[in-house]
Amino acid sequence: MICTVRVTSKSKTDSKGQGLAADARKILKIKSISNIKTAKVYRLEGVSQKQALKIAQTVLWEPIDQEMSCEAPIIKDAKKIIEIAYKPGVMNPEVSSIIKGAKDIGIELSAADSSYEYGFYGNVTQKEIEEITKRLLVNENIEYVVKKTPQTLLIKGTIPKTKLVPIRKLSNKSLMELSSGKLFLNLEEMKVIQNYFKDLNCDPTDIELEIIAQTWSEHCGHKTFKAKVIIDGQEKEPFIKRIKSTAKNNSSIIVSAFVDNSGVIDFYDGYGICGKVETHNSPSAIEPYGGAMTGAGGVFRDILGTGQGAKIISASDIFCFAPWDLPEKELPPGCLPPDYLFRKVVYGIRDYGNRVGIPTNNGSVHFHKDFKAKPTVAAGAYGLILKEKAIKKSPQKGDLIVVIGGRTGRDGIHGATFSSSEMTHQTIDTASTAVQIGNAIEEKRVIDAVLDMSDHNLIRAITDCGAGGLSSAVGEMGESTGAKVQLDRVPLKYAGLAPWEIFLSESQERMVMAISPKNLKKVNELSRLHNVESAVIGTFTGNKKLELFYRDEKVGGLQMEFIHNGLPQRVMVGKSKKANVAQKAPRKSDLLTTWKKVLSHGNVASKESFVRMYDHNVQGTSALHPFSGKNYDGPNDGVILRPIYDKPYGFVTAHGLNPAMTQIDSYWGSIWAIAEAVANYVSVGGDIKDAALIDNFIWPFPDEESLADLDKSVDACVDIAKILNMPFISGKDSLSSTYRYPSGKILKIPPVLIASVFGKIPDVAKSTSSDFKKSGSTLVLLGRLDLKNLGGTTYFDVASGSSSQVPKVDLENLKIVLKTLTEAIRKNQILACHDISEGGLATALCEMSFGGDIGAEIDLSKISTEDDENILFSETPGTFLLEVDSSSALLKQKGLPLIIIGKTLKKETLSIRRSDTKLIEAKTTELKKAWQTPIKEVLSV
Amino acid sequence: MSEPRVCILQADGINCDHELFYAFEKYGAQPKFVHVNKLRSGQDTLRNYQILAIPGGFSYGDDIASGKILAIELVSSIRGQIEKFIEKKGLVIGICNGFQALVRTGLLPFGNLGQMDATLSQNKSGHFECRWVKIRTEKSACKFLPAGLVAEVAVNHGEGDFYSTKEVINKVEREKLVTFRYIDQKGKPTMNYPQNPNGSTNAIAGVCDPSGRIIGLMPHPEKFIEKTQNPNWRRPDFEDLQAGFVIKNMVEFLKRS
Repeated sequence: MICTVRVTSKSKTDSKGQGLAADARKILKIKSISNIKTAKVYRLEGVSQKQALKIAQTVLWEPIDQEMSCEAPIIKDAKKIIEIAYKPGVMNPEVSSIIKGAKDIGIELSAADSSYEYGFYGNVTQKEIEEITKRLLVNENIEYVVKKTPQTLLIKGTIPKTKLVPIRKLSNKSLMELSSGKLFLNLEEMKVIQNYFKDLNCDPTDIELEIIAQTWSEHCGHKTFKAKVIIDGQEKEPFIKRIKSTAKNNSSIIVSAFVDNSGVIDFYDGYGICGKVETHNSPSAIEPYGGAMTGAGGVFRDILGTGQGAKIISASDIFCFAPWDLPEKELPPGCLPPDYLFRKVVYGIRDYGNRVGIPTNNGSVHFHKDFKAKPTVAAGAYGLILKEKAIKKSPQKGDLIVVIGGRTGRDGIHGATFSSSEMTHQTIDTASTAVQIGNAIEEKRVIDAVLDMSDHNLIRAITDCGAGGLSSAVGEMGESTGAKVQLDRVPLKYAGLAPWEIFLSESQERMVMAISPKNLKKVNELSRLHNVESAVIGTFTGNKKLELFYRDEKVGGLQMEFIHNGLPQRVMVGKSKKANVAQKAPRKSDLLTTWKKVLSHGNVASKESFVRMYDHNVQGTSALHPFSGKNYDGPNDGVILRPIYDKPYGFVTAHGLNPAMTQIDSYWGSIWAIAEAVANYVSVGGDIKDAALIDNFIWPFPDEESLADLDKSVDACVDIAKILNMPFISGKDSLSSTYRYPSGKILKIPPVLIASVFGKIPDVAKSTSSDFKKSGSTLVLLGRLDLKNLGGTTYFDVASGSSSQVPKVDLENLKIVLKTLTEAIRKNQILACHDISEGGLATALCEMSFGGDIGAEIDLSKISTEDDENILFSETPGTFLLEVDSSSALLKQKGLPLIIIGKTLKKETLSIRRSDTKLIEAKTTELKKAWQTPIKEVLSV
Repeated sequence: MSEPRVCILQADGINCDHELFYAFEKYGAQPKFVHVNKLRSGQDTLRNYQILAIPGGFSYGDDIASGKILAIELVSSIRGQIEKFIEKKGLVIGICNGFQALVRTGLLPFGNLGQMDATLSQNKSGHFECRWVKIRTEKSACKFLPAGLVAEVAVNHGEGDFYSTKEVINKVEREKLVTFRYIDQKGKPTMNYPQNPNGSTNAIAGVCDPSGRIIGLMPHPEKFIEKTQNPNWRRPDFEDLQAGFVIKNMVEFLKRS
C-alpha cells in the first residue's frame, strides 16, 4: 500500500511557483495566470497509515511555515492541478534521504518517492496549461505527468537471457544493420569483428559485441585522433602523437601526462596538482540539467580517479549556446531552445558542484547562432595529490575488483556510443536511456570514502566509471592482467537488467578499484563509515582475458589483446576548405551605441548573476575570486587558490576559447584560444614556466573538410606550445558536433578548441586583480593589437561585419610580453591588470573601471591612426591593459610593445579621446548597466 | 584548560569541514574530524570534546529541507550524548548548514531539543547566493562574543531567512538571543539586498540559545581568517575585517574557564 503525504507553504505564494509563472509570462507570453502554487508530494510504501503520519509529522512537515495533508488534496482552490514525477526507474536522489529519515525514527519503508504538484490560478486555459507543462515543466526523457496514483513504487523485472549474435553468416548489409543505431561501428570494423569470430569458430554473445563496440567507439577509442591522416595529399602523423609530443616542452614539471584520468604536474612540498576537462554535449542537448550534472560529476571522478585518489579543489565550466533570443522558427526540429538550455545547464552545475563542495570558480559562456542544434558544455576539475600517490599503478594478479558508490541501473546505456554519433531530430526520442540524473551526495560519499581509503594506503589502482561503464573501467584496468567479473554481484537499483546492461550501464557516481585481498576488510569498514556501498565483483586474473559470468553461466569471454588492439588504425583523408567568409565592412554607427551593444553581447556581458549561484568559495581556499572590487563586481581573468591553508603557495587556472573565430579560421582561431588561456593565466600572476595546458577539441563529425580544420587546430596547439615551451598533459576530443535535419541537410556546429591552463606560484601575495585601485594611475597597453583583422569579433557580430581574417596573435612578442608581465607582477609593479579579449580594449577598460568605481581617460592617438572602432574593439589575446604608478619601473623597460595610453580619474566617467578631440564621455554607471542587465534578464534573477 | 578539543562533525554532504578544522587549529584548539556514524556506533562520543562544531555543506543533500535529515539523526540517534554535552557546559557552533540543522533540532533559538521553534526559509532572492557581506555582533546572551564586533564574511546558501511567528521573533529579541545581524556600509542593520543576502527578519544573521553556549549563524567566519581569503585584499582601501574572532573567542573562553 502507498500512503500519500502532501506538504505546501502556508503562504499563498512560493518561489518555485512564482518562478514558473514568471517564465510562462515571459517565455510563453501566457498572461492569464494569476498565480502558481506548488506542493511537495511524498509517497510512502510498506508502512501503515499511522506510521506514515508519524513520518509526515517528524520528517516531512514543518508546521512553522507549512501545511500538510495525508491522503487528501492540499491545493484546493486552484483551477487545475498537475503532478510531475520522475519516471519509474529514473533515480530520484531524495528517496534515500526519505528512507533514512524514516529509519532514524524507527520506521522501515520498503520504497518511497517524491514529486511536485503545481496548482494553476487565474483564467488559464487547458491548452495553456498543456503548453506550460510541455515546455517548462516536464522533460519527457526523465519525467511524466502523474495521472493515476501508482500501485507500487517497487520495480520488478525478469532478467533477459544472454543471446548469441550470429555474426559469422551476416552479409555486409546485415552487418551494418546490426551496427546502426546500436553499435555505431563502420563496415570495416564490423568485418574485423566478424573475422575474429570466424577464426574462433563461434558467434559472439550480445555482451561481447557491446564490449567491443564500447571500446572501439569514437568516444572511448579516439579513432580519429589515432588515425593516420592525409591532409591535402600529404601524410601526417596522428593527431594524438603530435599533441603528446608537446610533453617534451618543459618536461621537468610533468608528473604524469596522458596516461591517467587527469594530467599531473609538480606543486610544492611533495604535492602535485592535476587537471582534466571533459565535454558533455550530447546528454546536455536533450536533458540539460541532468547532462550538466553528470558532466560535473564525471570530471570530479576523473580527478578522484587519478593516481591513488586526488582531492578535488576547483571546478570550471564552459558553455556555448545559440543566442538566447533565437527566433523559435530557427530552432531545428527536436532541439531545445537556447535560453532553456542555458538556464538548466547553470542550475545543473550549481546543484551538483555546490552539493559536492567543489568551488566552481572559473568558466565562461559563448554565444553563436550555429549552436542552435547542440550546445557545447564542458566541465573541468583540478586536484591536489601527494606525488608519491600520483602515479597510476597496474592491478596485480589476484587483486579484487571492487565497485564503490551508486547502484547500477539502466540509465546511461549506450552513452559512449551515443556520444559518438551525430544528432538528428529523432535523437531526443530514441536516446532517453542515455540520460541520467546525478546524485551529488552519493558522489560526495564516494569522494569521502575513497580519500579516506587512499590515506590508509588501501588502493592499488582506481578509475572512474564513466562512458562505457564497468566495461570501460574494468577493461582498461585489466588490460595487462585480465579480469574475471561476476555480474550478478554488481549492486542494482532494480531487478531486470540483462548481463550486458549491467556491464555497459553508465549509472553515475561509481568508481572501480583494484584492492589487495588483505585490505578488503578495512575497505569495507570505511565504506560503511561513509554510508557508501562497495562490492567485490571479480578479480584481476593474469590470463589476459576478460571473462564474464552471471551466476554459473559464462556470458562472455574476450582476449584483452583483441579488445584493446584489434581495432584497425584508420586512414583518414582531409581536404582544406577555401575561405568562404564574405568580406563585409561593419555598419558604422555612433561609437557609444556600439560600445553599449558590445557590452550587452552575451560573450561580453557580466556573468556575475549566475556565478553567484555557484558556490565559488567553498573550501575557503580562494585567494583571487571570480569577482573583486569596491562592489565585488569586477571580473578577474583567472582564479588563484591556496589549496594548503597554512602555506602561501598558489594554484592558478584560466582558460580560453573562441568558437566564432575557430569556425572562420581553424588555425588562428585555435592560436587565439590558447593565447587567451595563457594571457588570462599570466594576467592574474601566473608564470608559464610552472604551468601546463589541457586541450578539448569539440568538433563536427570529421568529414574531409572538418578533418583538415582539426589538423590545423592540432598544428596550432603544437606550434604555440613550442613557442611558449609549455606541455599539453591532458586532453579530450568529442567529434560529433553535427546535426542532420529531417531533409538530410547538415548543420555543422562551430568547432571549438578549449584551452585550459593550470600551474603554481610560490606566493599568492604576489598576484593581481583587474579592478582599478586608485585615481591618477597610469594606464598602459602592453602587447600589440591586431588592428587590421577583426573577423569573428564581438564588434563584427553586433555591427554585422564579416571577414575571413581573425585577429592574429603577435607570436613574435608573445613570450617576452608574458615574461615581462610575470616579472612585473612578482615585483608588485602592477596595480591592476586585465587581458584584452572579447569586447576589446574598450571592454577591458570598462571592467577595470567597474571594479574600482574609478573613471579613466585614454587617448587613441597614442595607439594608432586606424579606425577608432578597430582600436577599441579588436580582440587580440596576449595584450593587456595595466594600471601602474607613474614611477613604475616597468615604464622604463626598452624593446617592448608598451604604450602609455591614459590615466585613471576620480570622476566616475570613461572618456575616450583622440588627441584633443573627445570621442566619448560616458558615465560608468550607464555602461555598467548595459553590461550587467542582459544575463540577469535571461536567467530572471 | 589547555587546547579545547573540538568535534568537527562529518556526515554525508557536509563540505566545509576542512576550513573549519583549520580555523580551530589556528586559534589554538585541538580539532578532530568525527563522522556522525562514529558517535552513533559508540566508536567515539561527545564526552571526549568541549566544542561541537557542525560545519556547512549540504547534509544529506538538504533533502526535504536544509539540514533536516541531519537534525533528525542527531535528535533521534545521539540525543542522550547531546543532552549530556550541553549539561556539562560544552559549546556548540553551527555554521550555515550546521546552523540550519541546529534550528531544526530545536537547540536554537531556545535550547528545546526535539522541538522546532523557528526555521531558515528560502532566500528572498529565490536562489543560492555566494557573496560577501558585513555582520556585527549584538549585545546578546552569548557567553563569548561581546557586542559591536564587525566582520566581513562569506555567505554561501540558498535558505538563510531566519523566520518564525511574530511571538517567537519577539521572544528571541527580548531574550537577547540575536548574536549577529547583517549591516550596511554605515554599520546599521539592514534589510536591503544584497547587504542582507537573504531577507532575514530583523537582519538576523545568527542567534544563540538562552545559555549563551550554543550559537549558529548563516555566514562563514571560518572562511575569512587569513587576509588573502577576501576578494579585495589587494585594494589600497581594504579594511581587514577578519571573522576569525568568532572561533578564537570560543576557544579562549574555554581556555579561561
